[in-house]
Amino acid sequence: MTSKYETESKGYTMTTVMQEAARCLLCHDAPCSQACPAHTNPAKFIRSVLFRNVKGAAETIRENNALGSICARVCPTECYCEKACTRAKIDGPIDIGGIQRYVTDMERKMNMKILKAGKPNGMSIAIIGSGPSGLQAATTLREKGYAVDIYEKAAKAGGYLTYGIPEYRLPEEIVDYEVQRIVDLGAHIIYNTTVGKDISMDDLKTRYNAVIVAIGTSEAKMLPMFEHNICTESAISFLARAKESKGNLEDLPQNVLVIGGGDVAMDVVTTLKKLNVPYVTDVVYEQFDEFKASKKELAGAQEAGVTIVDGYVPKEVHQNRATFTHRKIKSELTITADKIILAVGQKANAEGLDIDLQHNEIPFREPRFRTKDPKVFATGDIVAGDKTVVVAVQKGKEVAEEIDRLLGGQEND
Amino acid sequence: MIKKDLSVDFLGVHFENPFCLSSSPVGNCYEMCKNAYDAGWGGIVYKTLSPTHFKIDEVSPRFDELAKEDMHFVAFKNMEQLSEHPLEQDLADMRRLKEEYPNKVLIASIMGETLEDWTNLAKLVTEAGADMIELNFSCPQMTSHTMGSDVGTNPELCKKNCEAVKRGTSLPVLAKMTPNITTMVPVVKACLEGGADGFSAINTVKSIVDVDLKKKVGLPNIDGKSSVSGLSGKAVKPIALRFLQQLRSAAGLEQLPISGIGGIETWEDAAEFILLGATTLQVTTAIMEYGYRIIDDLTNGLMHYMEEQHVDHLQDLVGLANKNIIPTNQLDRNYKVYPKIDWDKCIGCGRCFISCQDGAHQALTWDDEKRQPVFDKSKCVGCQLCALVCPVGAIKLGLVEIKPGHKGNPAEIDVGSQRLHRYHPVKANQEN
Repeated sequence: MTSKYETESKGYTMTTVMQEAARCLLCHDAPCSQACPAHTNPAKFIRSVLFRNVKGAAETIRENNALGSICARVCPTECYCEKACTRAKIDGPIDIGGIQRYVTDMERKMNMKILKAGKPNGMSIAIIGSGPSGLQAATTLREKGYAVDIYEKAAKAGGYLTYGIPEYRLPEEIVDYEVQRIVDLGAHIIYNTTVGKDISMDDLKTRYNAVIVAIGTSEAKMLPMFEHNICTESAISFLARAKESKGNLEDLPQNVLVIGGGDVAMDVVTTLKKLNVPYVTDVVYEQFDEFKASKKELAGAQEAGVTIVDGYVPKEVHQNRATFTHRKIKSELTITADKIILAVGQKANAEGLDIDLQHNEIPFREPRFRTKDPKVFATGDIVAGDKTVVVAVQKGKEVAEEIDRLLGGQEND
Repeated sequence: MIKKDLSVDFLGVHFENPFCLSSSPVGNCYEMCKNAYDAGWGGIVYKTLSPTHFKIDEVSPRFDELAKEDMHFVAFKNMEQLSEHPLEQDLADMRRLKEEYPNKVLIASIMGETLEDWTNLAKLVTEAGADMIELNFSCPQMTSHTMGSDVGTNPELCKKNCEAVKRGTSLPVLAKMTPNITTMVPVVKACLEGGADGFSAINTVKSIVDVDLKKKVGLPNIDGKSSVSGLSGKAVKPIALRFLQQLRSAAGLEQLPISGIGGIETWEDAAEFILLGATTLQVTTAIMEYGYRIIDDLTNGLMHYMEEQHVDHLQDLVGLANKNIIPTNQLDRNYKVYPKIDWDKCIGCGRCFISCQDGAHQALTWDDEKRQPVFDKSKCVGCQLCALVCPVGAIKLGLVEIKPGHKGNPAEIDVGSQRLHRYHPVKANQEN
């Protein structure tokens, strides 16, 4: 199937990446590195690029972040490393994501195999879910010598990376490539298998030394008034259909109303515009100054020509006609559209997993990542913290470290 | 993270890696040297010690830099001479360093005025625990003409100084050479006769880097005046490499032990020095600009290079390029190689067109409509200037053709050039 999307830009060449790296001030205290939730250490890999050591740069990224190529593309860098960048005080921050993409692209071209599996320690871990946190946990555990089985309910690995983030931001082949690295490292993925249905949690607890629940928030939240509306589809469902069909959607309407102002909503509206839907209107609860979506994604949506109306709450919906009221001023807005897409958040589905969730997160415990069952751990979006890929990666590393501490595998470090 | 053995043996001394601080401001006291060792440097040439009767009194400011476009430190000029600490203090620092870092290499740099000075200094640094002694015959900004680079151009004087040093020590002795000379060979041969075991090359190049156009004085400006003094940094690398080649290709000096110095900043620079005959390497300017931390990418990058070359011992790479530098009259002049433009990569900037028009043979013209160069093979001489200026690597080596009236088989000619693809740490023939 040919993709309906334009392909991603070519990215830097060695000459142009050197120019960008040369903008880096090589700060002594490197605020960028301190601001990276996954400790990907941009200061170090940019310095390696500047000293013409791309292989060393790739090692720095990969050893800290099993999803380095993915984070290079989807990380909201303006909230983390680039926000901290000292260069911003002169003109603008270093394009850290772009440099990371160059390095990881080169890593791929050079076919580098940086991560190595540890000496088998005789213990095995089950991971439920192959999203970013599950994949990183699998990687860290393999490096420490654990056998790892990942149970994935879908036909492909990656979770939201595969079924959510649009192709124009994250090409499918990049996700496949990163997953393949982790499979090559010896992680075993069992597809089309829902724990709690196809295999029981008790079964996992008996067969493995520990179980990690990395299910993410894979189900769409619904507003009650839209629940039985035939014109409404959830953002998650739409993005999955768009991604799987590479944009070849048959029922693309002319006029779409989207409700929600997070990154998922931005993915939906931008995807619609990229698929040449002429009228895309996004109505958002937050006002612009309190927007949840990253500035980069918001700017992308605006540039694509999406009409964004901020500060309105849905009041009622009748078939394809939705009415909103402004949160603060006396104002009403009625929009008639061919289709309504709801992007108002997601929730976890932990059915049959016997873990307690409050507001889609496990309750706070010390140490982090523990659940009420000492053998069961949680990671990813169901653990408190930012719901970004880079934070999921860090949680994946930390849950693996925590399990290793518990199971006494220190000598493998 | 890759792990490769970077250790080398040089004049009977074992270095965990070949990277040393050169004798300069970067290794000027116990604390600095300690920090450098901790950062991962394999050895240090401690800043030059001189006899107590020679007074060091430095100017301020004392540096200047050569810039090009947005690049700073293309070259670096300095006016510092030798260590300004009391001799006893430096000896105490060296003693302490050797005690605390027995496995790191400590090289004492010395410079005497009289023969007795050379003998005495050699004795003192040997007692202080140095592993090796470097004789500074080459500092170009000394305030005495009986010291520094003027000495290094005088074979007879160098020989006598070497002999004097050997009377004071049994340690291996390196003589540090000045590039401010047409050929180093007679000086090196004289030093060998005097007992020197190996050579450090090059010290700095005599220079004036900038002139203040308003005040009409060279920089740095020291109360309205300036002096000729030593240039270092990336720009002197080609000069240094040339001297290495000159030495290693001289009859009888093919295996000359060399510690390479001159503009080393990246692992690629380091590898070039090694391939042209250096066993150990010395760095200052890049450290002054970026700090000791550059050792990370020097060592890691060199390890990756060894891996690519399937080499387990760094020493196996020493001097491999010497045989491939030959006199110009022996080069193959039978063929030319045309450029090949990859249109998928071309961004239509026109830089190749401008350079070909104004700096080469007008083989490229410009298509205003398509915003791309047009190639006229009949005018092309195969100089490849276009490939060098292309910012996106869209121009590669293409068709090889035997020139009219010449002989040869294009299929047998080796035109693969890492230089034209050097921004890619992959094989030259692999695509960007």
